[in-house]
Amino acid sequence: MSDFAGMEDLLQDFLQEAHDLLSDVDNKLVDLEKMPDDRGLLNDIFRGFHTVKGGAGFLNAAELVTLCHLTENLFDRLRNGELELNPELMDVIMAATKGVREMFGELGQMVLPQPADAHVIAALQGALNGQPPGAPVVAPAAAAPATPPPPPVSGGEPDWHALHATLTGAPVPPATEGELIAKAEAVPASVAAAAATPLAPVADGAAPSPFGRRATDRPGAQPTNARRTEERGMRESTIRVDTSRLDQVLNLSGEIGLTKNRLTSLRADILAGKNDSETLHALDQAVSQLDLLVSDLQNSVMKTRMQPIGRLFQKYPRIARDLARQLGKDVELVLAGEETEVDKTMIEDLADPLIHLIRNAVDHGVEMPLERQAAGKPPKSLVRLEARQEGDHIVLIIADDGKGMSAERIRAKATEKGLISEEEANTLDERQSLNLIFLPGFSTKAQISDVSGRGVGMDVVKTNIQKLNGSIEIRSEPGKGSVFIISLPLTLAILPVLLVLLGGQPFALPLSLVREILPIEQERIQEVGGKETLVVRGEVLPVISLARLLGWPLERYPEYGVFMQTAERSFILAVDSFAGRDDAVIKSLEDFRPKGVAGVTTLSNGQIVLILDMKELLADLGQHPDMAAGLRALAHV
Amino acid sequence: MAADPKMKFLVVDDFSTMRRIVRNLLKELGFTNVDEAEDGAIALQKLQGGGFEFVVTDWNMPNMDGLTLLQTIRATPNLKHLPVLMITAEAKKENIIAAAQAGASGYIVKPFTAGTLSEKLNKIFEKMGQG
Repeated sequence: MSDFAGMEDLLQDFLQEAHDLLSDVDNKLVDLEKMPDDRGLLNDIFRGFHTVKGGAGFLNAAELVTLCHLTENLFDRLRNGELELNPELMDVIMAATKGVREMFGELGQMVLPQPADAHVIAALQGALNGQPPGAPVVAPAAAAPATPPPPPVSGGEPDWHALHATLTGAPVPPATEGELIAKAEAVPASVAAAAATPLAPVADGAAPSPFGRRATDRPGAQPTNARRTEERGMRESTIRVDTSRLDQVLNLSGEIGLTKNRLTSLRADILAGKNDSETLHALDQAVSQLDLLVSDLQNSVMKTRMQPIGRLFQKYPRIARDLARQLGKDVELVLAGEETEVDKTMIEDLADPLIHLIRNAVDHGVEMPLERQAAGKPPKSLVRLEARQEGDHIVLIIADDGKGMSAERIRAKATEKGLISEEEANTLDERQSLNLIFLPGFSTKAQISDVSGRGVGMDVVKTNIQKLNGSIEIRSEPGKGSVFIISLPLTLAILPVLLVLLGGQPFALPLSLVREILPIEQERIQEVGGKETLVVRGEVLPVISLARLLGWPLERYPEYGVFMQTAERSFILAVDSFAGRDDAVIKSLEDFRPKGVAGVTTLSNGQIVLILDMKELLADLGQHPDMAAGLRALAHV
Repeated sequence: MAADPKMKFLVVDDFSTMRRIVRNLLKELGFTNVDEAEDGAIALQKLQGGGFEFVVTDWNMPNMDGLTLLQTIRATPNLKHLPVLMITAEAKKENIIAAAQAGASGYIVKPFTAGTLSEKLNKIFEKMGQG
């Protein structure tokens, strides 16, 4: 049974808006570390917590109200100069922000949040009472005074009229001034103890705190893990769209309706035998117009799904900052191109890979401040996260100015871990060597335990990017830093494909994998280990025939080769001929999905074409990424 | 007390969820003629456009907060008669006094129900009827 029956819509709205607010607060917190006295920042952060508190009250999320209220009070003190920000206090604030986020996760699951971590509450209270933070955060024993909360103050809210009368000097029949002030100090019962702090006497340090936790509260962080997994399962099912974009869709669908009417009337004319040049010209015009309108409509609909990637980027400076602090490094995450628009589903699927790459840059990429100084670099490291659109692709760049990666050391590590043999290692060039870090099992133990925390290794990063029809590339210069370049299609709904022919039947290959097309000259085919290879500009590539992959008999010798590059390998796919390129609108085969088929699309002549999933087709050819392994695997085909 | 259900309200809050809450509560009370503004500055612009009969405003907002909005309304000849109900999360004495001094018609603390809102509105309507 949901705690929010009848309020689901409101809850969704609240969560979406509150999430944005909190991300904004997170970023401002990172800025605040650099400018601890910036009143504007302090004000904004104060208001963030304040606003969330206000909304949470209407959702009866008392624990969220309490947590926000305490944090807000802390910022009130900070902005009034009554408290000074120090790193310990910052940690308390960060922990509180995390608590708020976890509560959003619970709300997303339609349950009322559990009380925040008692240490965090105690630390906040301590800070408000002027105690140096630190001790309560680490010492659970000191954390939770087991006093029950004071009974809600009765008396309801301030008597506005009476107060107003008092202030304006008008006669006040029912109450004396003293009573009025007392009433003004009372708080509405529904806000409960939370809102009472500013008025509660705090001078006496020994006095039971108005925020005392319930005696049953466990001081451990036990609920936190459960929360985290819950939050992970949550996926936004709603989207916010600029109304002008929706208006455009509406406008276009209206125009299409009009054009359809025109066509209907023309059809009637033509069926009635009217086929003079004027009628045909009108038909031609109407169809061209429809053509234009439909493609405009497709674009507009696509645009409603586009969201600025900044919404995703927002979270990262905080993550980078937390990790850097944990590791004793000084790292600044610089964002660029936040306004770049990306398909909404893609934004969600990019979240984890990007977190991993950023953590990787902070953890493994950049050096400790002393090490940097010794190398003649500024002690503060820069990690740059950038997005931009290049043609029909979105490019994401994660660059650090750290120590870079040595191809040699990576090769050595991969051999040491038994991922590749020594002979294989020797055949790899620089780029191929760097790519070894994407092999499953390459990631070090540290990455799996505390850095990723979610068991995401570089191999998963790569797989996730590939699922989005994207690719990832590494460039690195020892001593200067490393760059990860992710390239993604603008949208997942339309896939540029290359149409190839085999036995007269067209097949579609994702164009993103195609590097070039070349004729296959029989005499240039060389046999290596009993298998066919072709040398392209010094690179020895296996020739794999599409007929063989599909299990078709090889009827005639293929004339063309498609130089393809998937994550695992480069190879030449041998086909009969080409039919050109097309932007395929993918229709998935829901129930019936033959192996190696990603979906189907319809050509302009109405013919149905299978879109091939190269990865799946090649899966039988072995797992190893390098050419030698590919060749070895080929022997079994 | 008979308030005109066509009375035009302006709900001012920077948090759109909150505007929606207030709008829904007003609807429950039979007031459907509601416009919204994101902060005091936008609210003032809308108010200058005319037609509004009641302002419900949050206190804490960027650009122009609720108190400044209230003070500006009271200092503007063609707006100063408007009833202004302040909404805030605080029940702090100094806030209430500040609102009273600035000439607020009422003050309501979050969270509240339709019942509480109705009570507040009726008190203000009564006072308006007398004055």
